[in-house]
Amino acid sequence: MTLLLEQVLNGLQYGVTLFLLAAGLTLVFGIMGLINLAHGSLYMIGAFVAARTQAATGSFLLAVPAGMAAAALTGMAVEATILRRLYARDHLDQVLATFGLILFFNEVMAMLFGRQPMMAPIPDFLSGSVTFIPGVPYPVYRLAIIAVGVLVAGGLYGLIVHTRVGMLVRAGATNRDMVRALGVRIGLLYTLVFGLGAMLAGLSGAMVGPLLSVQVGMGDRILISTFVVIVIGGLGSIRGALVGALLVGMIDTLTRAFLPGLLRGVMAAADADSIGAGLSSMAAMILMAVVLMVRPRGLFPAHG
Amino acid sequence: MTPILLAAEVTKRFGGLLACNGLSLAVRPGEIHALIGPNGAGKSTAIGLLSGEIAPDSGSIRFGGADVTRLGIAARVRTGLTRSFQITTILPQFTALQNVALVAQVRAGHSFHFWADAHRDAALVDPARAMLERVGLGKRAQVPAEDLAHGEQRQLELAMALMTGARMLLLDEPMAGLGATESQQMTAQLAALKGSLTVLLVEHDMDAVAALADQVSVMVAGRVIATGSFAEMQASQAVRDAYLGAHA
Amino acid sequence: MVETARQRLVAAILVLLLAALPALASLLAMPDLISLGTQVAIYAIATVGLNLLIGTTGLPSFGHAAFFGLGGYVVGILAFHAAEDSAVFGLFPGATDAWIVWPLAIIIAALAALLIGALSLRTAGVSFIMITLAFAQMLFYLFAALKTYGGDDGLGFRRRNALPWVSPRDDVAFYYVCAAALLLVLAGFHLVARSRFGNVLQGIRQSERRMAAIGLRSYRYKLAAFTLAGGVAGLAGALQANMLRFVSPDMLHWTTSGDFMVMVVLGGTGTLFGPVLGAAAMVLLQTWLAQWTEHWMIVMGPLLVAVILLARRGLWGALAGK
Repeated sequence: MTLLLEQVLNGLQYGVTLFLLAAGLTLVFGIMGLINLAHGSLYMIGAFVAARTQAATGSFLLAVPAGMAAAALTGMAVEATILRRLYARDHLDQVLATFGLILFFNEVMAMLFGRQPMMAPIPDFLSGSVTFIPGVPYPVYRLAIIAVGVLVAGGLYGLIVHTRVGMLVRAGATNRDMVRALGVRIGLLYTLVFGLGAMLAGLSGAMVGPLLSVQVGMGDRILISTFVVIVIGGLGSIRGALVGALLVGMIDTLTRAFLPGLLRGVMAAADADSIGAGLSSMAAMILMAVVLMVRPRGLFPAHG
Repeated sequence: MTPILLAAEVTKRFGGLLACNGLSLAVRPGEIHALIGPNGAGKSTAIGLLSGEIAPDSGSIRFGGADVTRLGIAARVRTGLTRSFQITTILPQFTALQNVALVAQVRAGHSFHFWADAHRDAALVDPARAMLERVGLGKRAQVPAEDLAHGEQRQLELAMALMTGARMLLLDEPMAGLGATESQQMTAQLAALKGSLTVLLVEHDMDAVAALADQVSVMVAGRVIATGSFAEMQASQAVRDAYLGAHA
Repeated sequence: MVETARQRLVAAILVLLLAALPALASLLAMPDLISLGTQVAIYAIATVGLNLLIGTTGLPSFGHAAFFGLGGYVVGILAFHAAEDSAVFGLFPGATDAWIVWPLAIIIAALAALLIGALSLRTAGVSFIMITLAFAQMLFYLFAALKTYGGDDGLGFRRRNALPWVSPRDDVAFYYVCAAALLLVLAGFHLVARSRFGNVLQGIRQSERRMAAIGLRSYRYKLAAFTLAGGVAGLAGALQANMLRFVSPDMLHWTTSGDFMVMVVLGGTGTLFGPVLGAAAMVLLQTWLAQWTEHWMIVMGPLLVAVILLARRGLWGALAGK
């Protein structure tokens, strides 16, 4: 039971990481109609720059903003030079061009930082565990990630529902020409929205550095999980991204933790471990298939 | 005579907007039936509901004696109820002949034939060519549909609708966007269908309605308020009030 | 598709090149050309099938590598059990004869495509892209977890599948087998494109809604195209496994799917010979860049972006005209 609670918290933490990525991806899709495979690259850039900054300065509080800024600047530069030419293209062209960007960014990171995985240390002020549920000591650092995710989700909600920018964002998603007619510089708005999404991806990458190894290609695998999240949630919906991210985070973590154990009851231990690992990698995709059979447009289809 | 198309109390709500409010309509076989009414009366929604593009919230639609309320567009086309115009059916990259031949192909049954050259298949091309002659497009058979003039595209659509083997056509504003000459040609072509085919058309061009329609139904605020000959509708005080009221 | 005189000429040159490649290789004393040519032919077969989806039907599948990899694993797994003299799932024996193994690879890949397509085709647009990607990645994880068959490390085997009159050790003969398979597939797709079936697929690409308006239920045709393309990818995967005498989860990796899509667009979307040109360009470019620098992706990536942004017609359009 205590193990289950711990794994639920782990699932929540992974879900939050996914949400930070999914929010940007789904926002960019909902507003600009762009499907951006290179979103995972921005996550990787955030992770690398944060890890390197931390190694150089020893300061985690400097490292995270550095990772966010690197991802945001890279994102805005790519948006302004390449991606905005793709908004009017079909999704196939968008997929292929951003596929090319992934190859490019993976190689740039390999040249700059090498192919050896890097580990970032957990900062002192977030190390150790707390026991807020009796019998379940839980790492402070993971709790901090969950807290950041909750804050970001709240902040995004406030931004989109209550501010003028958010109103433009919502209007832009449904009617680009109308927003243009209002005299809003839509190009600038798009660049800013893209930068916001990139920054969140960078934040996600910067925060997972102390938990996972930072390496070339780390963005590719999580990108696919992020796709699964936003397809489950409904393309273009932030609320869908949140629900989808938590669902995928939970199911992935829980199957990874418990499936091998369950399988050991019916087969040899080595087989149970490898098949259990394989099945838990597939679990989120099976969930997606089930969701799509019932609701082909996802749980919270955006309007239009 | 039993009606070929019978809509009973069909209702459709879009969010807060009641687009069709208990629409009832009977169309007899072989007649040209015009649906008229002020803007926003729900005429296009009615065509969408009858063609199967929009699913009704309640009510029933019967065609040729069978309940088609739950059938989609493709299934209704197969029972002989075909919509044309406004949603254009032509495929831009195919020639006029290929467009009509494709309809003949779909009508001929499944298309799981993988080897024989469909563009040289006499069973498809010959009837398609004949149909193009019938609508006056015989000389334009090899022209890509996207290069046809506006009026010619309408003729092509008519040819395709007829080629589906339709017993009844639903036409949404066949005269819209046509010049005076093209309008007259289209009116003559539709008049030539009279008797062999049932037609329900939504039309704003009252000259065309007067020339073509055997029956006219007037739609106001999502329902049919009167049906009769064009002259009867012109004479009806209720119709005038409704039209004026809706405009005021 | 191949209609003008110039198009016929380019097509004839391509077929001739395919036939004369071994002679050319010995003439130029470049034996590597044989293995490069084999790789081009195999990728081209897979890409022809994908082109039927992307170019003809307008279905941007991002999971084509799944069927390629499945075809490969059918060869690998049957060879593994034949060598061990054990039974697959304890049911039936391994096999090494091409006339058993290759049709089986095609059928199993096609069945997987039927299943994945049946689910994926309920969606459209971006969802379709992502779902095909996710299903393919699911199979990738599955094979990476199958420790019996090598897991991540892949599965090697000693000998190519046996064909009558062809020595399994003869690389030139194997090249001819792959080139002949490619020509057969091209001839088949040439006929399919003009058939009633191909006609319907082209209509679906231009407007699915309009096809419904003339009474067509498009789902079954899209599913048939998806299944057909999957089967052809299975054949390509079986050949690939034979070429390398090795299969690994990399065959199913999503970047392999991405490479196939790139080949379609690079060669010329919706053209018959485009996939051959796209596969050739991709293989040669990779080989050439890799000789030049270890970090060849840093050139390949931006090149790809430039091709998408600037060169819309692909190589076939550039060589043979529209």
